[in-house]
Amino acid sequence: MRAFVNRNARSVEEAVALAREATLAGRSVAFAAGGSDLLQLMKDHIPSRAEAGEPDVLVNLKGIAGLDRIESAGDGTLRIGGLVTLSALVGNALVRERFTALAEAAETVATPQIRNVGTVAGNVAQRPWCWYFRNGFPCFKAGGDRCFSAGGENQLHAIFGGGPSYIVHPSDLAPALVALGARFRVAGPERERVVSGGDFFVLPRQDALRENVLADADVLIGVDVPAPAAGTRSAYHKVMDREAWTHALASAAVVMVMDGDVCRSASIVLGGVAPIPWRVPEAEALLAGERVTAELAREVGTAAVAGARPLAKNAYKVPLTRRVVERTVLALAARA
Amino acid sequence: MSPRQSPPQIAPLNTVGHNVPRIDALERVTGRATYTRDVRLPGMLYARVLTSPHPHARILSIDVSQARALPGVRAIITHETHEVVYGSGSIAGGVQYSDAAKDITLHRRYMFDNPVRNVGEPVAAVAAVDRHVAEEAIRLITVEYEELPFVLDVEEALAPGAPQIWPEGNLALNGRNEARPSGGRQGDPEAGFAAAARVFEGRYTTAFAQDAQLEPRSALAHWEGDKLILHTPTQGISNCRHDNAKDLGLEDHQVQVICHYMGGGFGDKNGSYYFDLIAATLSKEAGAPVLVELSRKEDWLGTHGRWSTVQDLRVGVAADGTVTAIELRALSGMGPYLRRSGGLSGIDAYACPNVDRTIYPVHTNRAVAGNFRAPSEPQGYFPIQSMMDDIAYAVGQDPVDFALRNMRRPTEQVRFTNYSMEECIRTGAELFDWGSRWRSTPAADAGPVKRGAGFSFMMFRSGVGPSSAILRVDGEGLYTLYVGVTDIGPGAKTTMALIAAEELGVPLGRVEVVWGDSDRCPYSVGESGSRTTIMTGYAVVEAARDLKRQIAERGMPAGDGVLIASATPNPSTEGKQRLCFGAHFVEMEVDVELGHVRITKYVAVHESGRILNPLPARDQIRGAVLQGIGMALHEDLLYDARNGQPLTAGYYGARHITHLDAPQIEVAFIETDDGYGPFGAKTVGEAGIILSPSAVANAIYNATGLRMHDLPITRSRLLEALA
Repeated sequence: MRAFVNRNARSVEEAVALAREATLAGRSVAFAAGGSDLLQLMKDHIPSRAEAGEPDVLVNLKGIAGLDRIESAGDGTLRIGGLVTLSALVGNALVRERFTALAEAAETVATPQIRNVGTVAGNVAQRPWCWYFRNGFPCFKAGGDRCFSAGGENQLHAIFGGGPSYIVHPSDLAPALVALGARFRVAGPERERVVSGGDFFVLPRQDALRENVLADADVLIGVDVPAPAAGTRSAYHKVMDREAWTHALASAAVVMVMDGDVCRSASIVLGGVAPIPWRVPEAEALLAGERVTAELAREVGTAAVAGARPLAKNAYKVPLTRRVVERTVLALAARA
Repeated sequence: MSPRQSPPQIAPLNTVGHNVPRIDALERVTGRATYTRDVRLPGMLYARVLTSPHPHARILSIDVSQARALPGVRAIITHETHEVVYGSGSIAGGVQYSDAAKDITLHRRYMFDNPVRNVGEPVAAVAAVDRHVAEEAIRLITVEYEELPFVLDVEEALAPGAPQIWPEGNLALNGRNEARPSGGRQGDPEAGFAAAARVFEGRYTTAFAQDAQLEPRSALAHWEGDKLILHTPTQGISNCRHDNAKDLGLEDHQVQVICHYMGGGFGDKNGSYYFDLIAATLSKEAGAPVLVELSRKEDWLGTHGRWSTVQDLRVGVAADGTVTAIELRALSGMGPYLRRSGGLSGIDAYACPNVDRTIYPVHTNRAVAGNFRAPSEPQGYFPIQSMMDDIAYAVGQDPVDFALRNMRRPTEQVRFTNYSMEECIRTGAELFDWGSRWRSTPAADAGPVKRGAGFSFMMFRSGVGPSSAILRVDGEGLYTLYVGVTDIGPGAKTTMALIAAEELGVPLGRVEVVWGDSDRCPYSVGESGSRTTIMTGYAVVEAARDLKRQIAERGMPAGDGVLIASATPNPSTEGKQRLCFGAHFVEMEVDVELGHVRITKYVAVHESGRILNPLPARDQIRGAVLQGIGMALHEDLLYDARNGQPLTAGYYGARHITHLDAPQIEVAFIETDDGYGPFGAKTVGEAGIILSPSAVANAIYNATGLRMHDLPITRSRLLEALA
């Protein structure tokens, strides 16, 4: 591991200032929350930020008070601090009851040990798990100029939104948050800003080096999830290559507002298949105002993958994703 | 299928045969057990190894000046500074522990090779005052490489014009330096095929699977004058001592190998390894103890795993379903150095007299292949048992009936010390309720979740052989047993104490075991080949008998007196084959829409002679079955064909199964005593992994109607086959 300086921040402002100070001094910075993935990246000499390379300075966020809370605002908005652990999210009764997809997504992440230290912000902003990136290849995500998966081993890579990089976004929380309409609270050298799910994540064709809008001294300090409308139910279905401790081959976060057996509106966001949480509006539209039957669910699944463009070795993800969507929609409609 | 007969009863014993926790369980679970990386010596240094980033490259120059200038660096070694033969590593012709083969081999391996022939091979090593300095120094070494053409695929490696990894070509040399395949002919294969009503053909492939033991390798070396003291996790202190002594130009007595506790081996820690030599060399250079530690990734790429295979099978069958001929043409991927034969087992489980086997051990620029729990078996059984399963359906027979018709049985020419393959199959079929779980028509279920069942059966070596033990009793009636065993997991230390207590007729608590130190313990065969219980255990029996004779003649020692007995038996089975037997039955659900496989029932029946300690014996079978399931469904080491880089080293990349993936495994032992080994004990540790890949693949076929020819049967492969 390369030598680094640790700076403990006691407030968000101080964290931003420390990061900015280091950046201006020409030193690369990484924010540390749970640190479970950051430590591994550092041990493997993998850049925690493509442009910045390996960190010279770690700004430790764990000492910042108040960022580890899950609160319900007056209007029913769920305010989740960036330092909330995945275990805390899994164990929160309100989240489980009203924002079910989020609890279910958190539950599928890694292992209990990692969920005990891993944070919401860290999970949402984690670097890709593409085997080229993680093995030290000089790809876009490491600050290089190409994607090795394109003509190589792309079994686990994107079937939507790829090019020039074909990574898949590794977060399980992200699809659930986007499906639930979450807004991302970002603190930076400018004033704090709130970014919608659609704007927070960045496609490679917009910027191949990064996965989200966070700039060098930006901290994801929390996520706000609006109060669900009456009749809302949600679910997250993740398919993995083993029963635990790996990322999604394909996943679906589905939110449906039900009125009896009629779906008023739906949002469907896919994980593990695109460089960002991948929303499928055509599939969502099929559900609006309809009774959810097995046949409709099948059509929704088919619509969800209509735009898929698989690579040489990941065509299996297309039928897999179709079935995941179909089953999740059907199961959710049947859920009391 | 007729009902099974009840197994022969064996007489129960006092200490042996009962569930006994490990005698060192408390040390292990309280963290008091000392593993190699826990040993601290005054003034010790820490070493890191620089490895090759290229699959095949000539080293033109190595510049260590910047590294040497780093404060805290004590020694740097490379192929330029030290030419040390890594003799046991070459294991000429795949023959382990053969000095003669090592002396003549043309494919000599060194501590540092030039050219380097796979990614992860050692290039240089640094000893420094702490780990950070050592790691920093490694990154300051500049190596100029001339990249050479490389080859990853076994078939391409044998094709004309392939990059040559050795001047003699890419077909591995045997123990006589001959580039020849192994195998051979039995009976009259041509006549067998001519007599066949139908001939079946198929191609099967199996993947590299790393041994993946929890403890990555390490070695701590220090010198007392001309004597090397080496703490290293090894599956055999005696062989490790001899190998290291030979490579370093020392006499055996000049090397002391110590391994008390280790975090698993599965074959990855047979004998010595190059980092033992690196630790010894750095320690000599620096004049201080040196600890070499490999990271998980370095261990994954720098040690070895099970050899991958490409296998073409042809089987002839008569109209009544009798197998008349078997032909196997196989390529085994050995990486650039031959650590083991590359052989394949499985066909011997059939009685068919006409067999033609040709197995090519092939060099590639992938990771080295070597021993992994039953080295030749699971990847050998998977093809033949898959094909026989196919044939059973094709000739309209229940696969169990087909097996009972065609499996090997004792003959006048080939005699066994005992035989229980049929017993294993019949017992398993009954325990599993094969008749109701197996579907006579594959893919019989209508919905997306389809159930099916599969089975496989085997026989495996349980040979006897030489080993030694020393036993002492003192005036207080305490017994001390000296055995050169280590404990890679099955509990050898406990087993040796149990055997001694049983034979002596004393409580287990009266026996203390001295183990894991080549200076204090006599020769033992090593914890490979499932031999320790049988061979060293039998030496313990003989030593105990000797001690009992002495006590009978001279009485128990009094005061400061002691009696000492020893034994170095070299028993034989008088020309009979000594084998263990087994049959595994699997039921599973396959969700054909999601490609999800869930094992719903697993029954493993084994005849491994008398079971000396049922507790660890059952766990050995279960652990081995799980490894086999991982091999069947998950593990691989993918390379990028364009640049020869490995992509899936480590537990994450290779998708090793987790506890949540592990099904319940029912283990049943058929106990026998054939009169050999300690109280009739046979092989346990390796036996359990042999059948799970083939049984799982056969169950997938029964559930889905898909014959999966390639391991691992990943979700993506299943979904592609279903598409």
